[in-house]
Amino acid sequence: MDEIKNVIELENVVKDFGDFKLDRVSFSVPEGSVCGFIGQNGAGKTTTINLILDIVGRDSGEVRVFGQNVDQNSAALREDIGVVFDEMGFHEFMTGHDINIMMKNIYKNWDEAAFFDHMKRFSLPSKKKCGDFSRGMRMKLQIAVALSHHAKLLVMDEPTSGLDPIVRNEMTDIFREFVLQEDHTILLSSHITSDLEKIADEVVFIDGGRIVLAGNKDEILEKHGILRCKKEALSGISTSLIVGSETSSFGCEVLVNDRFSAAKLYPDMVCERASLEQIMLYYVRKK
Amino acid sequence: MKGLILKDIMCLKHQLQVFVFVMIGVVFTSILFVLSARYGNLAMAGQEMLRAEQASDIDVNNLASVALVLFMLLPIATVGDMANVFQADGKAGFYRIAGALPLPISKRLLAKFLTIYALFGIGTLLDVTLAGILSLLTDLIRFRDFLGIILSAASVMSIYSALVIFFCILLGYGSQAYAQIFSLLLMAITLILCNLGYFRSLIQSIMTDQTGAFDMAVFWRPLDFIKEKSWILVLIAAALSIVSYSISLKAAVRKRGVI
Repeated sequence: MDEIKNVIELENVVKDFGDFKLDRVSFSVPEGSVCGFIGQNGAGKTTTINLILDIVGRDSGEVRVFGQNVDQNSAALREDIGVVFDEMGFHEFMTGHDINIMMKNIYKNWDEAAFFDHMKRFSLPSKKKCGDFSRGMRMKLQIAVALSHHAKLLVMDEPTSGLDPIVRNEMTDIFREFVLQEDHTILLSSHITSDLEKIADEVVFIDGGRIVLAGNKDEILEKHGILRCKKEALSGISTSLIVGSETSSFGCEVLVNDRFSAAKLYPDMVCERASLEQIMLYYVRKK
Repeated sequence: MKGLILKDIMCLKHQLQVFVFVMIGVVFTSILFVLSARYGNLAMAGQEMLRAEQASDIDVNNLASVALVLFMLLPIATVGDMANVFQADGKAGFYRIAGALPLPISKRLLAKFLTIYALFGIGTLLDVTLAGILSLLTDLIRFRDFLGIILSAASVMSIYSALVIFFCILLGYGSQAYAQIFSLLLMAITLILCNLGYFRSLIQSIMTDQTGAFDMAVFWRPLDFIKEKSWILVLIAAALSIVSYSISLKAAVRKRGVI
C-alpha cells in the first residue's frame, strides 16, 4: 500500500506577536486533498498561512512543504505553490497584460497561454485595469495567476469571503477541477463553513492560535452530533461526550463528540448530525 | 527578479512621463541658453558685466556653467524616486504577493536597487547625449566637465535612493515621507560635517570683505569639485549602495513582509 504523502506538515509551530500567539500548531495536509482551514476572524489562519509560505518567521517548531523544510529553500518551494489572498495585492493600475509581463519574468513555469485562457474563462478583460474589477473579479484574477504556473499546491486565505453565492459556487467548481489531478492539493482557509462542507476532504479548526480539531471532514461530521434534550437532562449526559451545550427556553442543544455512543446511551434523546458550522461554534464556545 | 524590476518601473510610470517632459524641456531650454550665451542677450549681459568690472571672466563663465549644471541635474532628479514604489506597493498590499513569489528576500531587495540604477542609467545616458550636443554649441563648458556634473548628479541621487530604500525597509510601509525626510536630512548633515572648513571659509569670506566682492574662488570651489572630482562621488555612491543593501537585507530578513 502506498504511504500517504503530506504536502504540508506543521509541527509544534509557535509564533508570538505579544498580543497574539500561535501556540504549538501541528497539522498536516495529505497530497491530493482539499484541506479546509476553519476559524473565526483573528483565530490565526492568516498567520499560519504566512508561516507555511515563510512570509513570516516563526519562533519555534517546524514547517515542511513537499517534505522539505521551508527554512532551507522556501523561495524554490514557492515555485510550486499558487497563492490567493483575501485582498488582491496587485497594483490597481495593472492590467492582465501587465501582470502577465511581470509573472512570466518571475515564475520559471509561467504558462502565458494558460493565463490568458483562465482570464477568458473567468470573463476577465485583460486590458482593463484591475483596480476597476469587482471583488469577485479580483479573486478570480488571483486564481488565474495561481493556476498559471503549474502549481501543485494552492494556498488560499479567505478567497470566498465577501463574495456572493454564485461567484462562490463558481470558485468552488474551479477548486474541484484543480484537485482532479491527483498530485494537486488545496489548503483553503475560510470562516464560511458551507463552502468547505462542499469541497473539503480534511478540516482543521483553529481558535485563539490553537488547533482545536483536525481530521477527515467526513469522519468529523460522522462522529459529531447535536443531542437535543430537556434542561434537567443535561446533567445526566456524560461530560466526556460533551463538547459544548446551549440552553434555551425550549430545552438544551448539546454537541457530542461521539453521536453513536450518545444515541446508544441516551435513546430517548434526539441526536442529529452536526454541520461544520455547529461544530466550529461549539468548539469556540467551549474554549 | 526581472519581473519585479518591470513592476517597479510600471509603478514609476507617471514619474517617467514627467521625466520625459522635463527632458524635452531641458533639451530646448539648454540649447536656447547656450545659443543666447554665444550670440544673444546672455552674451551681451556677460560682456556688460565684464565691462563694468562687476565680475571676472571666470565668474561670468561659471555663472553660465551653473545654469547649465541645473539643466543637467533636472532630468536625473526626476527620473525616479523609490519612495513612490514603496508607497504604491504598500497601498496595493503587494508585499504579501511578493512574499509568496519564488524569490528570496535578497533578490526582491536587489530588484529595488537595480530598478533605480537602470533608471539612473537611462537618465545619465540621455543627459550625456544632451551634453554632447551642448558641448558642440558652446565653449562655456567642456564635455568632460559636463560628464563630471552628470556623474555627480547621478551619484547624489543614487546615494539618496540607497538611503530611501534603507529607511523604507526600516520604518515599514506607510512611512515613505519620513524615509525621504530622513534621507535628505542625513545627506545634508553629512555634507555640512564633511565640509565644515569650506563653509567656515565661505562665511568668513562674506563677513570680512568690506567691499562686498568676496573671494569668488571660494564660492566656485564646489562647482570645480563636481566638474573635476566626480569620481569621488561615484565611489561614495557605490560604497553606500553596497552598505545600504547589506543593512537593508538584514532589516528585511528580520522584519519580513516589508519587501
